[in-house]
Amino acid sequence: MNKSLIFYNRIGFLTLLHREIHRFMKVYVQTILAPLLSSVLYLGIFGGMLQTREVGIEGVNYLYFLVPGLATMAAILSAFQNPAFSIIVQKFQNTVQDLNSYPISDIEKALAFILGGTFRGLLVGSLTYLATTFFVGHVIQYPLLFVLSLTITSFIFASIGLITGLLLDSFEKMNFVLALIITPLTYVGGVFFEITKLPGVLSKIRYINPIYPLVNITRYTYLGVYEGNLQLQLLAATIFIIGFFLAAVYIFKKGYGIKID
Amino acid sequence: MLKINNLSKTYIKANKEALKDVNIHINKGEFTALLGQNGAGKTTLINILAGNVKKTQGEVEIGGYDLERNELETKKIIGIVPQEISYETAFTVEEILKKQSGYFGIKNNKEYIDELLESLALQDKKKAYGRELSGGMKRRMLIAKALVHKPQILILDEPTAGVDIELRHTLYQFLRKLHKSGTTIILTTHYIEEAEKLCERVIVINHGEIIADQPKDKLLKDFSREIRIEIDFDWEVNIDAFDFLKEYHPKVEDKKRISLKIDKNDLTKILDMITQKNMKFVDLNIERQKLEDIYLQLIRR
Repeated sequence: MNKSLIFYNRIGFLTLLHREIHRFMKVYVQTILAPLLSSVLYLGIFGGMLQTREVGIEGVNYLYFLVPGLATMAAILSAFQNPAFSIIVQKFQNTVQDLNSYPISDIEKALAFILGGTFRGLLVGSLTYLATTFFVGHVIQYPLLFVLSLTITSFIFASIGLITGLLLDSFEKMNFVLALIITPLTYVGGVFFEITKLPGVLSKIRYINPIYPLVNITRYTYLGVYEGNLQLQLLAATIFIIGFFLAAVYIFKKGYGIKID
Repeated sequence: MLKINNLSKTYIKANKEALKDVNIHINKGEFTALLGQNGAGKTTLINILAGNVKKTQGEVEIGGYDLERNELETKKIIGIVPQEISYETAFTVEEILKKQSGYFGIKNNKEYIDELLESLALQDKKKAYGRELSGGMKRRMLIAKALVHKPQILILDEPTAGVDIELRHTLYQFLRKLHKSGTTIILTTHYIEEAEKLCERVIVINHGEIIADQPKDKLLKDFSREIRIEIDFDWEVNIDAFDFLKEYHPKVEDKKRISLKIDKNDLTKILDMITQKNMKFVDLNIERQKLEDIYLQLIRR
């Protein structure tokens, strides 16, 4: 069997995972507190402004509609940033080649980066939920499924973050992806509004937007109510998990951005 | 310990042939110098061993493991000190070394890390971040990092570039100790004197090809055909008296001393010629060529 696809060095894998968590924990003000603060601001501003408009699911208090959206958005952004930032910093520091010198298989390396990002996404997403309880209280329907949904969401976007970090070579390019692809997709992914209430093409984007099913699934675990076809959204999430993870492993194995041809 | 057979590398993007059919076999415990000018292919070779650069052709075997088929096993056998100083800015020296041990599957390596820091005079910098270290300290940290997993082969890519003399000597001592303990060492350097002092074997690479690979002493001996000799007489010399040695370009060095540049095989003949002229000499000094001269001769060929 190909050595890059086996589990070869458990301690090495755990050390790399620990490194990924240790790194963002050292700068928790930027990596945890800042996104929490922005979530709370979103809740205050959008929640306050839009509470009386009918932008959420009918019959559901808009604040309740908003909370799972914000938690998912926070998880997505944090999970994406962790591996992307980590790899690009290493490129910048010229230490990225060190990854080639470890006796750790490609699948272990990819998984360590992705799980590091998943942990950060889950942490920030869960803390966002906890922070919102001060304003809206506990209404969560399926707490375990909520955590699972945030984990799946984070895993997918950590995989996308890893791919981005490997393929791009500067912070500017990473910010470009973040500001012009990921963030807009969260806005048209059902975080703030029920998608079908968006006009024309903005509503149609949901069919190709990976954020849409993830926000919906999380919202279902929180509210017990959903929009669209939940089974189809679960299928889409499963495809995203497998697809993006395999793509990340493939890119690692090929050595894009860390090995020279 | 290290077998490189018919190794070639062409960089696709730059369309540059960096290594041409390189063959190197290094035995366990050898201390080898890899010499060559900038761009000769030294770093490419090291980067292939490290897994940073993909080879185009050939086979590499590290500690009995094939680089392609058993890549992960080969990682445990080598430790590499890179040419460029680079380190993780987010972590302290101790954190970096602990993590490095972990990557190599070593859970608790505190004792060995302390030992390394001690012998590299870094013990009081454990809690410091890379940016707080001087250039020399950063170098030493990179050496410690390459050694935490006790590699059988240590490869140092110009470890003394820009390092002050005192530190250079500390490093020499450290490398000698490591060599004594059985570690196979490959050193690339621009200071040929360093290779002459430390290494047992010299490999010279030029334009991607191995142009010399010999035990240092043999290389020195073989290439030292031209030697410089100084002869002291017990009388004040006059250059005209040495007309019979004209082809050896005699020079008066001191009142009673002349120097000649000769082929070492002519030494007896020259001494005979001097004796036949009834010129009594009192001392003879033979200067062999230095590795540096040989190196220059080789790459200028």
